[in-house]
Amino acid sequence: MDQQTTGPAQSEIVDRTRAYVRENFLYMRPDWKLGDEDPLLGSGVIDSIGVIELVEFLQDAFQLAIAEEEITERNLGTLGAIGRFVYQKCHANGSGGSLRPRQVA
Amino acid sequence: MCGLAGVARARPQGVSAELLERMATAIRHRGPDGFGLHADDRIGLAHVRLSVIDVAGGAQPMANEDGDVRVIYNGEIYNYLELRHELQLRGHVFRTRSDTEVLVHGYEQWGEGLLERLNGQFAFALHDRRTASLFLARDRFGILPLYYAERGGDLYFASEIKALFASGAVEQALDPEGLDEVFTFWAARPPRTPFRGIRALEPGTWARWRDGVLSIRRYYALDLTAAAAAPADALETLDELLRSGVRLRMRSDVPVGGYLSGGLDSSIACALAAQLSPYDLRTFSVTFDDPQLDESMFQQAVASELGSRHAVQRIGGGEIARVFPDVVRHAETPLLRTAPAPLYLLSRLTREQGIKVVLSGEGSDEVFLGYDLFKETLVRLFCLRQPDSRRRPRLFDRLYGYLPPQTRKGDFWRRFFLDAGSPDDPLFSHLPRFRLTTRIRDFYSDRFRAGLGAFDALGELRQSLPTGFMGWSPLGRAAYLEIVTLLSPYLLAAQGDRMAMAHGVEARVPFLDHRLVEFAVGLPDRSRLCGLREKAILRRWAEGTLPRAITGRPKQPYRAPDVPAFFGGPEPEYVGELLDPASVRRTGIFNPDAVAGLVRRCRAGLATGVGENQALVAILSTQLWHREFLDAPARARAAASSGTRQAAAGASIAA
Repeated sequence: MDQQTTGPAQSEIVDRTRAYVRENFLYMRPDWKLGDEDPLLGSGVIDSIGVIELVEFLQDAFQLAIAEEEITERNLGTLGAIGRFVYQKCHANGSGGSLRPRQVA
Repeated sequence: MCGLAGVARARPQGVSAELLERMATAIRHRGPDGFGLHADDRIGLAHVRLSVIDVAGGAQPMANEDGDVRVIYNGEIYNYLELRHELQLRGHVFRTRSDTEVLVHGYEQWGEGLLERLNGQFAFALHDRRTASLFLARDRFGILPLYYAERGGDLYFASEIKALFASGAVEQALDPEGLDEVFTFWAARPPRTPFRGIRALEPGTWARWRDGVLSIRRYYALDLTAAAAAPADALETLDELLRSGVRLRMRSDVPVGGYLSGGLDSSIACALAAQLSPYDLRTFSVTFDDPQLDESMFQQAVASELGSRHAVQRIGGGEIARVFPDVVRHAETPLLRTAPAPLYLLSRLTREQGIKVVLSGEGSDEVFLGYDLFKETLVRLFCLRQPDSRRRPRLFDRLYGYLPPQTRKGDFWRRFFLDAGSPDDPLFSHLPRFRLTTRIRDFYSDRFRAGLGAFDALGELRQSLPTGFMGWSPLGRAAYLEIVTLLSPYLLAAQGDRMAMAHGVEARVPFLDHRLVEFAVGLPDRSRLCGLREKAILRRWAEGTLPRAITGRPKQPYRAPDVPAFFGGPEPEYVGELLDPASVRRTGIFNPDAVAGLVRRCRAGLATGVGENQALVAILSTQLWHREFLDAPARARAAASSGTRQAAAGASIAA
């Protein structure tokens, strides 16, 4: 359960990221079941160029900065990992996170 | 080079001159200098000629003295003078100076054994009246094409598939398995083609057709067993073979020019040509407005060093899209890259400048281990030996230096290679590429996917590997796979022969002189790929001959813009038409919704990855290919008939 109200809930991060991934990386595979802990790389959903797009989306959608050394499988390897990572960043230093981040096409 | 076409009948019902003219007209671009045919009750042979050797006397079909052996031939036999001398010593009397006649007498003398004596690039059909058979053969590496189709006991054959269709007897239908191979390997693997019932004669094989039965035999097989140590005189041998290979390929009665990419291989070929040419060497290059793709600085450096008269084909915003439908028509296959298009334009420029023979650097990267794929193979093996190492995978960040830096580092980049497959898999070296390419399959329609059934392109490739394959080094195995899946069926064909011959230009490839190939692949791996330094021995040879900027330069693969070629500026009308959901649905190969998603991302400038670039070019070229060859067979036949009337005026019939 999310404790803070100044940033997005972890579930919201996961859901919005899932929607983004589906629209941009799985548009050709609409039947693909993308679970929270399914690997994004190993399954071929996202490649090394796709991850750059994904980072841009996360930075834009959740108003945060992701450093190069943070672009790891541990942080971005699954939707669940992204949820945990982004949630932690949004809530750790109070520098980022918005309940109503702007829409990203 | 030239074009050939013909028919062999199972029963003596004759072959009409009109049929042969129709087939020949479809490939007239391959031989604009001459046209001839021969027909009897069982055999019809047609030939379009590009006059290069014995311009006056080399007309085809060409027969021996009594007409028992008659040949139509596309290519060059570079050691024809030596073979001619040998045959004369054995009593054969020559009537022309052409290399074609060497095939006639050589076949009389040695039969099929002739092929092992040939140094060249060739495809030919030879009617042997003594055995009532037709003999077809193709060079060792598939530099030149030869297709055939069996219909009702008859055999139709030609340099290009469009000539088979022009016969009116060969069905125009797609082969789902052939297409699936295109979307796995970049090209269908011979003998398969993307067309149902049409086969490519495999490189290094011959076929004999007799009484309606076709038998195929291999006469040349690659052995990639590398030596443990390099011979002490390796550099001297390399020098001798390079010079001999180029010297033989300068044999021509017309000036020989050179394609200059700015890389090591074409620079070596052009440097040797400049030394050997009796004319001022002409060189030709493609330049790109996109600085990430452009190599003009290096091309100019070499041209200046060699003192060649240099001409460039500039590729800016719209050139590729403008010619892409013609490129697909000539390639006769869906394409995954637009890279053939600039070469199509380059051959046009070359021909306009009065040159119809050029040397090119193809083949060197495969035998001297030039591609990053070979380094990638070594790094993957190195990492998998210590899977827990955090340091070793950082070596991946040193590969593919020509890609944008932000895309070729980090966990995601490294994981792509590390997860691709096990070293026990015979296809280990190529699994990352195949995995990337087969993402195109995600766009298949349900119907097309169902039609493929259990077809397994990779499984078939594994089954086809030669005995002893797993005994070769990992790099030997990788080189073999590169030659059979990419070099022969794609680089030499769709990107090589077809683009050059679209404008009647013959491309000669000195690095595929079989003596040089056999020497190179027999060298120890480290003589060629030393650490992560590719083509080591070739660089050593070139030092002192070429500018340091070329010999010290890392491999830069030839690339052309893909998605930006169609969406980077004004969108050509045909792109919207062919990628429209209704059009995609009509063709039936791809899922219209998936294609719509891709097009949306292309138009938004978001499709920047290799996978989506390949998918877009694959889908668009498939739509063009389908429209050209499968949507309107009646229209194609009508066009061929119309062309026949023009060609008939220049025809000479030797019946």
